[in-house]
Amino acid sequence: MEEVDKILIHALRQVGTEVGENIERVGQFTSELIVEAVVRCIRVIDPGPGGVLPTTLPPGMSARFRVGMSLAQACQDIGYKGEIGYQTFLYSNEPEIRSLLMFLVEKLPRESSEASDQPTGKSAVLHRAIATVIKAQLAVSWVPLNCRLPLHGETQSRAASQKFSVHPLSLPYCNEGQKSLKEVKEYKRDILLPATAQSPSQTSMVSSMLEQHMADLSSTQEWDTEWKSQGLLYRLAPQEYRSRKLKRLRNRIKEQLRSVAMQSPESIYSVCRPSSELSDLLRAFRGPAPFDLILTKGTHFTHTQKFTFTEEATAVKSQVHSGRHSEGDTQLHQQEELALLQQQFQQLCSDIDQIAADMRHRSVTSTQVFDELKQRELENAKNQEDMQVKKTTLELLPDADNNLQKLQSQVETGASRVVNLASQWEKHRAPLIEELRRLKQICSSKDLESSTKLSEIKHLHEKICMATEDAKKKEESYKQLVTELESLPRDVSRSAYTQRILEIVGNINKQKEDITKILSDTKELQKEINNLTGKLDRTFAVTDELVFKDAKKDESVRKSYKYLAALQENCNQLIQTIEDTGTILREIRDLEEQVGIS
Amino acid sequence: MELSESVQRGLQLLADPSVVDPSSFQVLLDVSFRGLLASRADPAILDQPELKHIDRIQVKQIHAALATFILEAVKHNADKSTISSCLEELTFSPERLELFFTTHQKHKKEVESLLSSIGRRLPHVHDVSWRLQYQMKNGQLDKINEPFYLISLNTENEGSPEDVNFTCTTEQLQDLVAKLKDAAKSVEKASQM
Repeated sequence: MEEVDKILIHALRQVGTEVGENIERVGQFTSELIVEAVVRCIRVIDPGPGGVLPTTLPPGMSARFRVGMSLAQACQDIGYKGEIGYQTFLYSNEPEIRSLLMFLVEKLPRESSEASDQPTGKSAVLHRAIATVIKAQLAVSWVPLNCRLPLHGETQSRAASQKFSVHPLSLPYCNEGQKSLKEVKEYKRDILLPATAQSPSQTSMVSSMLEQHMADLSSTQEWDTEWKSQGLLYRLAPQEYRSRKLKRLRNRIKEQLRSVAMQSPESIYSVCRPSSELSDLLRAFRGPAPFDLILTKGTHFTHTQKFTFTEEATAVKSQVHSGRHSEGDTQLHQQEELALLQQQFQQLCSDIDQIAADMRHRSVTSTQVFDELKQRELENAKNQEDMQVKKTTLELLPDADNNLQKLQSQVETGASRVVNLASQWEKHRAPLIEELRRLKQICSSKDLESSTKLSEIKHLHEKICMATEDAKKKEESYKQLVTELESLPRDVSRSAYTQRILEIVGNINKQKEDITKILSDTKELQKEINNLTGKLDRTFAVTDELVFKDAKKDESVRKSYKYLAALQENCNQLIQTIEDTGTILREIRDLEEQVGIS
Repeated sequence: MELSESVQRGLQLLADPSVVDPSSFQVLLDVSFRGLLASRADPAILDQPELKHIDRIQVKQIHAALATFILEAVKHNADKSTISSCLEELTFSPERLELFFTTHQKHKKEVESLLSSIGRRLPHVHDVSWRLQYQMKNGQLDKINEPFYLISLNTENEGSPEDVNFTCTTEQLQDLVAKLKDAAKSVEKASQM
C-alpha cells in the first residue's frame, strides 16, 4: 500500500494540497488535510460546485458537520459509488479515505497523457498553433468601433491593405567570377541607392525583396537540378557549360530570326505554318508592324493593304463631310487635292515596285552570267594545260630514240625513288601507327575512367541529397521531441513508480521461488507414490503366491484367496476413481478460470 | 529556411569581425530594421558615421542581405533555434547572434504587421442596423401581409467605410442567422483542436 500512498500524495501535491514532508501514508492524514485534499480535487475536476466549498474545516461542530455533508454530496455527484457521509471526513478510517482519494485522483483530468496522445508531425503542430491563436482571438471581447485600441487592431479592424506589387531591385552583389568594370563599381559605390530605398512605397519594397530572394533561390535550384541531370554528361566545367549553352541559344535565336525575316510578309497572313514558339512570337511581333514599316519595307502586300485602308478612311471621311455643305468648297478642294496626291503616290509606289522587281530580275541574271563566266574561265585553263603538254611532245618528236631512252632512264630513276621513298615511309609509318594505337587505347581507357567517375559523382550527388534530407527530417523531429519534452511535466513520482516496479519484480521472484518449491514437492510426492505402488505390487505378488500355494490344500484358504483377489480389484478400482476425480477436479478448475477470464 | 547565395555572402560579411566591428554591427542592425519599418524610404540611411570606414559596396550588400534575412525570418515565423542554426552556419559569433536575436524580437511584431498588411481582404463588418417593414399589398396581389427586413451592414474595407444594404423575408433572415451561428461554431471548433 505504501507505493499507492506515495502516488496519491504526489498527485494531491500537484493539485495544490499542502501535504507535509513527513506524511508518507494516508493513515497519517488529519481531518483537515483530508478535507483540503478532497476539496482541491473536486475543484479541479468540476470547477462549478467545487468553487463554493471551503478548503479548511471551520471550528464549530455543526459547521463541520455541514461541511462534511456537502463534501459527501459533491463526491457522490462526481460519481463516487462507495459509502460516504460526513463521518468519512470527520472520523476517518484509512481504507475508506484511500479508496475515496484513489477515485478522485483517477478522475483528475489528465492533460499530460492527452498531450502525448496527440498526433505529432509538422501539420499537427501547425494546427495546434492555429487553434491556440484562434482561441486567443476569440477571447478578445468585442468593442464598439469608436473605442478600439491598437490591441484590437489585428482581429476587429484591419488597417488598409496593400497589393503585392513588385519592382525590380538592383542589388549590389558582384559575381566573383568576373571582375566588374570600374564604372560599374563606381555606380555601385556612389549612386546605387540602398535596397530599402529603391521602391516607391514600403510594402512594394518588402514584396520586391521577398520576390527577389525567391527568384534567386529558385534559379539556383533550377541550375542545380539541370547541372546534376544533364550538365555532368558534357564533362565540362560549369562555366564552360554555361557559355556553350549561351552560344547555342544565341545561334538558335539568330536562325529563327533569319528564317522569319526571310519569309515574305504575305505568308504571315496567308498560311500559318506550324513552327516553333519563337517564330510565332516573332510573327506576332511583326503583325502590327506593317503600318510602321511601310516606308522601310515596300512590298506589294503592305502597300495594297495600306491603300485599301486609307481609301476606306477617306470614303468615310467624305461621307461625313458630304453632310456638311457649309464648309463645302475648301474641303472639297482639299479632298480633290488629297485624292490627286494619293493617286500620284500610288503611281510612284507601283513604279518603285516595278523597278524593284526589275532590279531583282537583273541581279539574278547577273549572277547567272557571273557563274557562266567562271565556268568558262575554268575550261579555258584546262585547255591551255592540254595545249602545253601537246606542245612539249611535239618538240621532242624529231629526236625520238634518244629522247625515248632518256625518258626511260628518267622513269626508272623515278620508280626507284618511289620505291625508296615507300620503304622510308614504311619505316616512319610503323612507329607512328603504333603510337596512334597506344594513344587511342589510353584515350579509351581514360574515357572509361571518366565515365565511371561521372557515375560515381552522380551517385555521390544523390547520396548528398538524401543525406541532407535525412538530416533535415531528423533535425525537425529532434526539435519536435524537444518541445514535447518541455511540455511534459517534470514527474517527481518517477522514483516511486520505479520503486513500485522493483517491488513487483521482487514479488514475482518470490512467487517463482515458491512455485519451484511446490514443483519439487510434487515431484517428491510422485516418487513416493511410485515407490508405494511398487511395494504394493510386490507385496501382492508375494501374498498371492503364498496364498495360492496354501489354497490347493485348504478350502478356507481358497476362499481367502478369492477375497484377496477381490480386494486387489476393488482397491485398483478405488485408486482409479480417485485419479479420475482428481483429473475432473482439475478440469473444473481450468474451466472456471477460463470463465473468470472471459 | 533557405537563403540564396548572395544573401549568404552578405551575412558572412556581416559576421566577419575584420569587416564589421561590434559598434557598426549594432548600427547596421538598427539601420536595416529602420529601413524596413520606415514608412518613407530614406536614401541616406546608410550615411552613418559608424559605417564610414567600411567599403560602401560592402555596406550596401550587407544591408540588402540583412533586410532580406529579416523578412524571410519573419515570413517563416522562425523561432530562436532556427535563426541561430541558420546564422551559426554563416559563422556568426554567439554574441552577435544574441544581439541580432534581441533586436529581432524587439521589431518582430512590427514587421509581422507590415507583412500582414500586404494582400487582399474582404470587407470587415463592424456594425449592423435594421428596420422592419410590413408589406400589405402590391400591384399584383391585393393581400400579402408579410413582414420583411431592411438590413444594412456597416463594413469597412481598406480603411474606407462602405455599407451593404439588402432586404430579406423572415425565413431568409433566419437562414442567415443560422449560417452565421454555424460559422461561429466552426471557428470555435477549430480553436479546440
